[in-house]
Amino acid sequence: MDYKTMKQNSIDRRTFLKLSGAAGIGIAASTFGVPSFLHAAPETIKIGSIQPVTGPLAIIGQGTRLGNQLAVEYINANGGIKSMGGAKIELLLGDSESKPEVGRQEADRLIKEGASILLGPFQSDVAMAIATLAEQRQVPFVMDVAALDDITKKGYEHVFRIFITSGGLVAGALKYYKTLIEISGVTPATAVVANVGDAFGKGMSDGFLKMLESSGLPIKIVERIQYPLGIQDLSAEVAKIKAAKPDILFPVSRPGDSVILLRELYKQKVSLMGIFGPGSPGWYEPDFVKDMDKLAYHTLVNVPWINPSSPSYQRGNAAFQKAVGKNLDTNSAYAYTGPLVIADALERAGSTKREAILKALRETNFKDHPVVGGPVKFDEKGDNTGAMTALIQVQPDPDLQKRVKIVLPKEFAQSDKIVFPAPQLWER
Amino acid sequence: MDSALALQLLIQGILLGGVYGLIALGLSLIFGVMGVINFAHGQIMVMGMYASYWIFVLLGIDPYVSLVAVAAIIFVLGYAIQYLVVNRILDYPEAMQVLPLVSTGLILENIALLLWGPDHRSPQTALGLDSIWMGPVMVDTSRVIAFSLAILITGLIFLFLKKTTMGKRIRAASDNRTGAVLVGINVDRINNFSFGLGAATTAAAGCLLVPIMPISPYIAHDFTTAAFIVVILGGMGNLPGAMAGGLVLGVAESLSTLVLPATLKQVVSFTLLIIIILFRPQGLFGGKK
Repeated sequence: MDYKTMKQNSIDRRTFLKLSGAAGIGIAASTFGVPSFLHAAPETIKIGSIQPVTGPLAIIGQGTRLGNQLAVEYINANGGIKSMGGAKIELLLGDSESKPEVGRQEADRLIKEGASILLGPFQSDVAMAIATLAEQRQVPFVMDVAALDDITKKGYEHVFRIFITSGGLVAGALKYYKTLIEISGVTPATAVVANVGDAFGKGMSDGFLKMLESSGLPIKIVERIQYPLGIQDLSAEVAKIKAAKPDILFPVSRPGDSVILLRELYKQKVSLMGIFGPGSPGWYEPDFVKDMDKLAYHTLVNVPWINPSSPSYQRGNAAFQKAVGKNLDTNSAYAYTGPLVIADALERAGSTKREAILKALRETNFKDHPVVGGPVKFDEKGDNTGAMTALIQVQPDPDLQKRVKIVLPKEFAQSDKIVFPAPQLWER
Repeated sequence: MDSALALQLLIQGILLGGVYGLIALGLSLIFGVMGVINFAHGQIMVMGMYASYWIFVLLGIDPYVSLVAVAAIIFVLGYAIQYLVVNRILDYPEAMQVLPLVSTGLILENIALLLWGPDHRSPQTALGLDSIWMGPVMVDTSRVIAFSLAILITGLIFLFLKKTTMGKRIRAASDNRTGAVLVGINVDRINNFSFGLGAATTAAAGCLLVPIMPISPYIAHDFTTAAFIVVILGGMGNLPGAMAGGLVLGVAESLSTLVLPATLKQVVSFTLLIIIILFRPQGLFGGKK
């Protein structure tokens, strides 16, 4: 483009000021000047979605944003909110950059742009920042993937959480561990806890240890090993595990160190009845299952999980596959649940008025979702009473995609047997 | 058990230290010739690891075998970085040399993220799970191989620098750049070649690590830091120092787990770094001034 055409096409400062002034008046008029009954039946309902689309959690955040978007697409394609004349949902997008202060700013911006409900984010500290803001501004906020207990502890009136709480996660681990002992008839007497030393690893393993202690189960923790995130060598740590001669290993790891840990357990021939992750990433991801093959078998992990047999999961997964060629994972599936829960509430509220939405959200009883758990219902704190974890086990299957199976709870189980005690790593 | 554990840790430390040494050798070489610190070093190594990973997954060729090919590929990458980036900044103040190389590292890291995602990949190589038992002490076969090859490659690099014309030119440029120009050496080409060679050695080290640790774009950072510490330990630009520094760091990190919790591993390496900078800033074996 040459200079002349640029000049013709460009807007000079005066025109810009005039235009933006007019736009400002227009926005102000539409917000304040127009009688409120005209707001009652909007053509679109704005929902503000905040996810960590850039920054260190970008990969997960892009998946959760897509989960939000695909669910909204599904709702709109199926007639929108029928009680409001088929009103469509418009998703306003915000990016927390994986930082609490940015998440708060973005939430603020989306409220200014007219979001009647906020949705998101993966990452607890950002959710905390947004929750405080939502309570101040009196905008309902539905958290799709944030686990930290504290967020709902303050009893905020506008905050609802679909995901399981960190307390619920640990309680799930103990519940399944007890069931495992009952079913297998084998009670491990000694255990080693090996966890990565970041906030998640410490918090998770501390919580589990505390609960295990107060449970009265006859199990002795003979060694506790903590190692830094991103460690490249665990031979010394595994030598210590071997020396402690535990029956069972409770790891809380991250993808990467689980590979090193497992290989080292194999090389040093550490005898174990099994490996039980109270809530530990790194043992069931597609790459791990493929790379580790037989070594990956039989590890048990307590996780919030997808429900592959639900129609909602199959719909969401098909859309996700089409969009990015990957399976809908737990985080994205919870993000996919968010708009569904909101749409269900809007349908019953029949309005975008705050009180109506809050009332409808409190009365939620939503079953058609893609994750393991009961119907979504919110208690007085705003936590989902239907949220639960699943116990999964990697089991032999010629199809790599099908190796990770839900074994508990029974009503969601994909395999009716739990292998425990498991054959030793080098005997497989 | 404790003495057996200590012995095992000592052996593991020495074995890993050899690979550290090889990683740092490239960094030291680049510093010795050009006087720049390659802050993209770890990222270049990770590129080598991915190259080796894909050759293994797609063609089934073991990382130990594909090592030469991978080193050649990364040599080209290093040559290109020197040609496109580093040659332009050689005369800048040191602080300004840092940024282009840090950004090169960021670009490489994000290319890896874009192409292969954040997942940790760890292919099951032929010897990946083998171990040798000597009484109660276990020695990892893949580490023994990694160590031996690291020593072998280091030896070859020394021979190359001492005996070949190209090696002599590199040493000349490293010793006295102006002098080298005066006797008719094309120093720009020497620089390109040296950076390529430094990148190739670190890529070779990366190949040796493929059977031992999972690959992800994010591990690069730690290796840049480790290589940097090793080079400071051994003396900037001092090549035998790099190997010795690697061994010191490997053993120190490994043995520290006997008395300290593993979460403090990095404290050990940084404490070593601070002590060296305080009491022997030229490094254990003396560096280039």
